[in-house]
Amino acid sequence: MSVTLLDIVWAAVGAVALVTAVSILGVSLVWLERKFLGRLQGRPGPNRVGPFGLLQPVADGIKLLWKEDVSPGPSAKVLFYVAPLLVFVPSFVVWLTIPFTRDLALRNLDTSVFFFVAFSTLSIVGVLLAGWSAASKYSVLGGFRAAAQLVSYEIPLIVIAITMVALAGSMSFVDIVEAQRTVPYIALVPLAAVLFFIAGLAEIGRTPFDIYLAESEVVGGPLVEYSGAHWAVFYLAEYGNTFLVGALTALLFLGGWSWPFGTLPAPAAVALFLTKSYFVTVLIFWVRGTYPRLRIDQMMSLGWKILIPLSFVTLVTVVVQRFYGWPSWTLTLMSLATLALAAWLQTRLQGAPARALAEKYRRDAVVVQAKPRLHREAPAAAKVEASS
Amino acid sequence: MTTTDQRQVDMMLNLGPQHPATHGVFRMLLTLDGERIVDMEPHIGYLHRGSEKLCENESYGQIVTLFDRMDYIANLNNELVFVRAVERLMGLEVPERAQFIRVLLCELNRVASHLLFLGTYGLDVGAMTPVMYTFRERERIQNIFESVTGARLMHNYIRIGGIKEDVPSDFTARVRAALEFVKRGVDETDRLLSFNEVFLLRTKGVGVIDAKTAVSCGLTGPNLRASGVPYDVRKDNPYEVYPYLTFKVPVGERGDCWDRYYMRVLECHESISMIEQCLDLLPDGPTMTQTRRIARPPKGEVYVHAENPRGDIGVFLVSDGSDKPYRLKVRPPSFCNLVALRPMLLNSYVADSIAILGSIDIVLGEVDR
Amino acid sequence: MTQPPKPTPPERPARHGPPVEVAQEVFDVQGQETARLLARVVGTNALESGGRDEVPWVRVERERLPHVAERCRDDQSLRMDMLHLLLAVDYVEHLEVVYILLSTQTLRKAMLKARVPANDAQVPTATHLWEAAHWYEREVHDLFGVTFTGNPDLSPLLLYEGFEGHPGLKSFPFHDHDEF
Repeated sequence: MSVTLLDIVWAAVGAVALVTAVSILGVSLVWLERKFLGRLQGRPGPNRVGPFGLLQPVADGIKLLWKEDVSPGPSAKVLFYVAPLLVFVPSFVVWLTIPFTRDLALRNLDTSVFFFVAFSTLSIVGVLLAGWSAASKYSVLGGFRAAAQLVSYEIPLIVIAITMVALAGSMSFVDIVEAQRTVPYIALVPLAAVLFFIAGLAEIGRTPFDIYLAESEVVGGPLVEYSGAHWAVFYLAEYGNTFLVGALTALLFLGGWSWPFGTLPAPAAVALFLTKSYFVTVLIFWVRGTYPRLRIDQMMSLGWKILIPLSFVTLVTVVVQRFYGWPSWTLTLMSLATLALAAWLQTRLQGAPARALAEKYRRDAVVVQAKPRLHREAPAAAKVEASS
Repeated sequence: MTTTDQRQVDMMLNLGPQHPATHGVFRMLLTLDGERIVDMEPHIGYLHRGSEKLCENESYGQIVTLFDRMDYIANLNNELVFVRAVERLMGLEVPERAQFIRVLLCELNRVASHLLFLGTYGLDVGAMTPVMYTFRERERIQNIFESVTGARLMHNYIRIGGIKEDVPSDFTARVRAALEFVKRGVDETDRLLSFNEVFLLRTKGVGVIDAKTAVSCGLTGPNLRASGVPYDVRKDNPYEVYPYLTFKVPVGERGDCWDRYYMRVLECHESISMIEQCLDLLPDGPTMTQTRRIARPPKGEVYVHAENPRGDIGVFLVSDGSDKPYRLKVRPPSFCNLVALRPMLLNSYVADSIAILGSIDIVLGEVDR
Repeated sequence: MTQPPKPTPPERPARHGPPVEVAQEVFDVQGQETARLLARVVGTNALESGGRDEVPWVRVERERLPHVAERCRDDQSLRMDMLHLLLAVDYVEHLEVVYILLSTQTLRKAMLKARVPANDAQVPTATHLWEAAHWYEREVHDLFGVTFTGNPDLSPLLLYEGFEGHPGLKSFPFHDHDEF
């Protein structure tokens, strides 16, 4: 295959279009998150710049670009400035193979799931470098937290991706979506969807897994020393990744651009896909508005003791079901049963004892009974006794 | 810590005084082994204004304003304890209406302070929503304070011998209306945070302190009661009109962060009930006793203590008979509670240090004075 | 070059105004009981005693202060398990170190006092009895220059490192002091 000039031009145009589109999506998420969280918290959210505050992210962006770009004196300057790119580039490259509808993808690879897995792991290096090169203890702590977290949660994410590949029999996102034409995979393997969502939350470092960014502990972690445009790049990558998790969940579990009532025309299909992606993204924001943050050891034990075994269980059940050709509802049943068991165990272990304890505290509080107001004893008297 | 393994080096992490989660200018010097805290050295004094020394150069009436600025979250409670010390020394009988209003406002202030705690504690462990709910309801209480005292924060309302002026005519209605919202706010936060799985993971069994150590460290208030010691000044040494109120003193048993947190949720409910009782019992009458404009307590010394939202505040007052105290010493509850931080903190994780510090609920204005 | 002599602190001006009243010290019911128990526990160590309302006080020799406090803590009828407050008062010719003890079990309070000469301000430490004593003693050391012998760490707590003088004392020249 020879590369012509036209190919290069088209690749450049495609890249620019992609970066623009993803940036716009990311920026729209900034607005959506602030507005949605504001509504959750009983406040209006941004409403000053533009209608409904829609231009707020633009104003933020302009402010960030105008800010002075400061780097700490003892930092490793080259690495310090390369690190944002190492985070930014993989998070955008992954979008190359994400199809928005059957025919709308920059490169419709046969192995697009593999491509996604390969590139999404790269950003760990950037985060770790950002943490290390800033020569700040907080960012070092954050960087190492990030490395531990991202590496751990890659595994369930990838295993679930493999599961979906096994289910669809293809490594192409397009084929996986086409396989969900009648029944989206969330109905077949709800456990896998939940695991993927949780692992995805951890991969993008959002609540309750914002451990390496933890504002109240490590004050932003690897990003603590960044300012201005470099910080904005991290910010954009973060929102790009957030939307990526939304899009992947939509592709793998919600049937992407398809719905059970026939084939949609292309614009409607794209709109449907975006709606589904935004829906998952809003779920991510909702989780952020609800949950506190886990501690690093708790997060690790959740990953290694619960998510990874459960994801392998999912993989095995899917493979067994495919191998023996059992009907699909058996898969749903097995998946739901595992999910219910895990959820029930968790509430037994944490929620129920706490509620019982709270009830006990309420009941066992020391009651102080009011005295009748008959008379008031006079305070100890002080009288003039001597003078000087 | 010295180790024979040369590859392992402990990291010193300087947490504060400029840190979003140290609740002011508190500084901890943590020695870390990875994420684990092996040693911790607290540093305070960044906000030391010499309030106690300042008091020696102010007349009694002026000192009330200094007490406003010690625990700036619970101003009225602070004013009350100082004013009571002077009144005790002078043998002043305060009109009952004034006493009811004082207790009412103090309990309101306790709710406001606990609401602030509930919200910021959520922030400390990473939940960003509760703070919005609690601040919204706290604002209603601040509005009441503004209508009564004329100031939102530094009230200077409780005076020696009574209160500055009677409450406005619509006070009762306003308080009752606000209480409905406050109840809702407490319940909302309770439902959102208290039994949240992640919150439980973060706070259950973290920062445990047993009753013996807690008493030895001088821990008081909700923090002490969370360890299972049912000590509450309002119950054990009632002052003002507390004897005429029915209330419960919630007592925990584990002494961990969650218990300390939950004590405050329960106390909010109790305080709201006390406010309602005060409103029902509020008598008519004067709000200021007949006394000299410039207080000159007789020569002598007195120790008075009271239950603040943060614990047991005490005032030791030595008077030489002039219009200025000879010596005034405050027992700041946050200062004493902070002593217990080290035993709670050792061998926990970095993230726990924030959760534990938050659960003690310090106010640095009071720690450093 | 010799240091200029430090200005002597100004005398407190002679007061004009109404005659000084002296507060009457009257115990309430609980105070009487506590005073009786305290007198029994302190025994012959007591130099002087008094009190008002529910808080009796006893003055003891400064060397005996922690010892007496320990007896108050361990006595079954008092059980003063909390060092509620430790402070110093500057009476110019001498300092007074005051322990305020409190029992979370018997709900009694008591004060132990000890006079400390201003030129030899030393008191044995109470850190082995109560954790809380660590910070209290550091604070009193900061502000009044009282040395608690046996305290492992008397580094400045409220003041900054290298601060000279003890600002709690009446003799501290406040208005000549440079801003930090």
